[in-house]
Amino acid sequence: MSKELIRLRDCVMSYGDEVVLDHINLYINDKEFLTLLGPSGCGKTTTLRIIGGFLSPTAGDILFDGVRINDVPPHRRAVNTVFQRYALFPHLNVFENVAFGLRIPKDGPDGRKVKVPEREIHNRVMEMLETVNLKGFEKRPVSALSGGQQQRVAIARALVNRPRVLLLDEPLGALDMRLRKDMQNELKRIQQEMEITFIYVTHDQEEALAMSDTVVVMDGGRIQQIGTPEDIYNEPKNAFVADFIGESNIIDGVMRADGVVEIFNRKFQCLDKGFGRDEPVDVVIRPEDVDIVDEAAGQLRGTVTSVTFKGVHYDTIVDFYGFKWLIQTTDYCPVDSRIGIKIDPDGIHVMRKSQYSGMFGDYSSYSEEYEELDVVEDESGEGEGDDPWEGGYEE
Amino acid sequence: MKKQSRLGGRLFIGLTFLFLYLPIFLLIVFSFNAGDSSAVWKGFSLDWYKALFQNRLIMESLYTTLLVSLLATAIATVAGTFAAIGLYSLSRRKRDALLVVNDIPMMNADIVTGVSLCLFFVAFFQGWGAFAQWFNGVQSAIELPTRLTLGFGTMLLAHISFNIPYVILNVAPKLRQMDKNLVDAAQDLGCTWMQAFWKVILPEIKPGIVSGALIAFTMSIDDFVISYFTAGSSTSTLAMRIYSMTKKRITPEVNAVSTLLFLSVLLLLALNSAREARQERRAARQEIREPSFFEKLSMRLSSPAWKWIRRGGLAAMACAFVAVVALLTGAAWSQPVVNVCSWGEYIDEELITQFEAETGIRVNYQTAESNEALYSLLKSGGADYDVIVPSDYMISQLLEEGMLEELDYSRIPNFEKIDPRFRNLPYDPENKYTVPYSWGTLGLIYNASMVEEEPDSWGALYDDQYAGGVLLINNSRDALAAALLHLGYSVNTTDEGEIREAFSLVADASRRGVFQGKVMDQVFQKMEGGNAAIATYYAGDYLSMLDNQADGVDLRYVIPEEGANWFVDAMCVLKDAPHYDSAMKWINFIASTDANLANMYYIGYASPNTEALERYPDYYREREEGEELDPELYEIMAAPPEVLERCEMYTVLPPATRALYNELWIQLGT
Repeated sequence: MSKELIRLRDCVMSYGDEVVLDHINLYINDKEFLTLLGPSGCGKTTTLRIIGGFLSPTAGDILFDGVRINDVPPHRRAVNTVFQRYALFPHLNVFENVAFGLRIPKDGPDGRKVKVPEREIHNRVMEMLETVNLKGFEKRPVSALSGGQQQRVAIARALVNRPRVLLLDEPLGALDMRLRKDMQNELKRIQQEMEITFIYVTHDQEEALAMSDTVVVMDGGRIQQIGTPEDIYNEPKNAFVADFIGESNIIDGVMRADGVVEIFNRKFQCLDKGFGRDEPVDVVIRPEDVDIVDEAAGQLRGTVTSVTFKGVHYDTIVDFYGFKWLIQTTDYCPVDSRIGIKIDPDGIHVMRKSQYSGMFGDYSSYSEEYEELDVVEDESGEGEGDDPWEGGYEE
Repeated sequence: MKKQSRLGGRLFIGLTFLFLYLPIFLLIVFSFNAGDSSAVWKGFSLDWYKALFQNRLIMESLYTTLLVSLLATAIATVAGTFAAIGLYSLSRRKRDALLVVNDIPMMNADIVTGVSLCLFFVAFFQGWGAFAQWFNGVQSAIELPTRLTLGFGTMLLAHISFNIPYVILNVAPKLRQMDKNLVDAAQDLGCTWMQAFWKVILPEIKPGIVSGALIAFTMSIDDFVISYFTAGSSTSTLAMRIYSMTKKRITPEVNAVSTLLFLSVLLLLALNSAREARQERRAARQEIREPSFFEKLSMRLSSPAWKWIRRGGLAAMACAFVAVVALLTGAAWSQPVVNVCSWGEYIDEELITQFEAETGIRVNYQTAESNEALYSLLKSGGADYDVIVPSDYMISQLLEEGMLEELDYSRIPNFEKIDPRFRNLPYDPENKYTVPYSWGTLGLIYNASMVEEEPDSWGALYDDQYAGGVLLINNSRDALAAALLHLGYSVNTTDEGEIREAFSLVADASRRGVFQGKVMDQVFQKMEGGNAAIATYYAGDYLSMLDNQADGVDLRYVIPEEGANWFVDAMCVLKDAPHYDSAMKWINFIASTDANLANMYYIGYASPNTEALERYPDYYREREEGEELDPELYEIMAAPPEVLERCEMYTVLPPATRALYNELWIQLGT
């Protein structure tokens, strides 16, 4: 990829005893679309605010183009932000909101304040409004706009300053589902057109997978995994990532040899290597990687406890020896029927044990988990208000 | 049934509002009364308003009120706004706790705030005095003033301090409503914090700031109690001035100034609620609308092209504000001043104007309520008067305590005109400290239409046939003096037995219900209105009652056979008076024959000036356009020598006797 633009080195953020960021190391490349993904209180917004300059890390450095910028105030950083609830200026109309940044004199190369000429301001604002499809709305008060339109104004207001990096803090959180999908495409298009770096904060894994070049999964103030969307999905590093990204059945297993893992006292072929002999591991099996077969032909046998029609497939919950799996299949299996399953070696992903082992991957309370994910996140960004993440995952 | 209850409800509401507004309505109506009665309508006139604007004491206090309110509002608005912003950067728990703390001063009784501020200032001044003395001792480059007193500055500080909570209270909700990210957004777009404040925070919280400022201004204009305790002796706000004007009787002039005060406060409140209503309406309908003319104008003005005009306008406004303040205060400071403390209605105010015109010295004229009030004011160290006009016995006391400065009689040539009768009196045997201002007697005032035979003895005060009709003077010295005289003792006796005997005379009468009440200034209304038959009071005040007596009332004045008290009020200068030279000029001016004539005519008390006493009947005829002065009245005003013979002047009583007086007086109850 292209060259490195921003680096966080051993960044720690703490308020008294409460550690919000725990030794974050991260680099962000130029023109990259990077997403900070995680549940409420994971530290993603704090990370973003450190990059934006609204917070200064308790320890560690933040570098921009190789220069330490810990003490550079927000207004001197080549970074602009799209805020969670837009934070448009209510007393200004659309045009003046977008023009706001341009009207502030900036430090020129000779140290003198440089102002953008009025004509240029006009052209750049109009151009930007065209980019975000808001032409003709210049004179409207921002309070008279819909949520999606306000969102576009916020983006235009940030981008018109031609930042090197655009920070987006849950920008689509307040929009309805349809609008959110449209805006995802739009944002991706804008990012590619403008050729700048986007750092995007969200708790929505689908959004993260759909838009990002790189996804950083965070939890408990730590980075759990950095990778491309495909890496993150296919090769989760631990039970947390596996569970947070998509649906996963996570089962205790033991590595008997390279390519052989034992679950429920039964050996399965897999592709994973390099584990110790008889090392206890977490085994991830994605619901779509399980084939349902006759009970007799199955590698494992269980009882169907619930079936939900999802359109493309059925969400089928199957009880194997007291452990409930989610299986996504196009075959309909009635409740209480006995079935067998087969799993191909590439459908099995083995992870080392971690602090998250045993916390996720059981579908005893499947429906609640969905609800939990739909809760719109509200990170106050103050740090103090960051509740420790309390999910329903453990059930 | 239902209809009836609705009618009852309306009646109830009607009565409630009547109860609330009828007094104010009456006040407004009577401010337009042609006569000087506050009970009888004599036709419409604007005379009292005219008189108001010619009354220099009122205009001066109006100016003080406006200045203190404007300054306090401006400073409190800035301080309160930033304090509120500071509060909002704290955590919610701390902020909520502090907002509760912020509410306390507003709920607190004004009197507590006033007294505590006064205490605080006085304590600070004492500390400062010690510091300044030490500082002036160790170096000579800078001379710090060692004596600070309560005054405009302390009152301003007090107003600022009680205004700030109101500003915070009004700004805080606007900050709460404001999206916290707005400031971050502005900084993100290149603003420094200060730029963000001007461009984003200020427009957002402006409505709160404006209403906070309006309320602070209203509170300042309205305040009496806190000003009273912190203004010291030489500054008066309008409310304080009105209060001192009502001491004797509520004149239509007071009605007029109260009406104006009421209307201006009403206007401010109406302005504020109109603004709030407009904002609510605007918030209620979010739809796009055609901007009003003013909004278009302000949009134009806020466009960058107009920036210089805008900045110029702001700068011009700031300059104008500073200039006005500088002019007002500068005018007050650059001029030589003399601080005078006298009694209410005790000078023809024309004289002040005349003196100022002649000498260029500004007269800061204040009034005290009584000798005792003046004394405690002086003792508290809160006064910075030059000239005071205490009565004889108080002069003795002040002299005993070394509080008076010797006068430079070479600069008071008019002292020569003081009648020998009024020189070298017991309170100042060598006449080194005083120049007499006026003199008079304490006698019996009675309503001839309410008493059968004319009383010629102090005994009338304790006579059961007047039960419920006698007003006891609410001043232990005067009340016991009458009793002592009646018993044939000296008014200055220190014999405990005699004093106790006199006291039981009063106490017994009180038990028998002879007295209607203990009064000082209410004596005017009671006697003028025919609500009481007999009272003890001063001759000069009798004359002014005579001018105001209601129909059917026939007030007379008599010096009883047993004799009476006579008194002299004299001008003195306090030790360390800040303006000694001006004080000498003032005293000489007031001692002149012309000034004495004017004062005699205005206040009804006799002058100690020989020429003035001789010329007064002619002067009276001139002023009254030919009407002759009633010789009997003139004798009451200026008692002839043979009457004065029978009268005794108070001397200062020894502390033990004073304590006895106090103890007995408290026993008497209210």
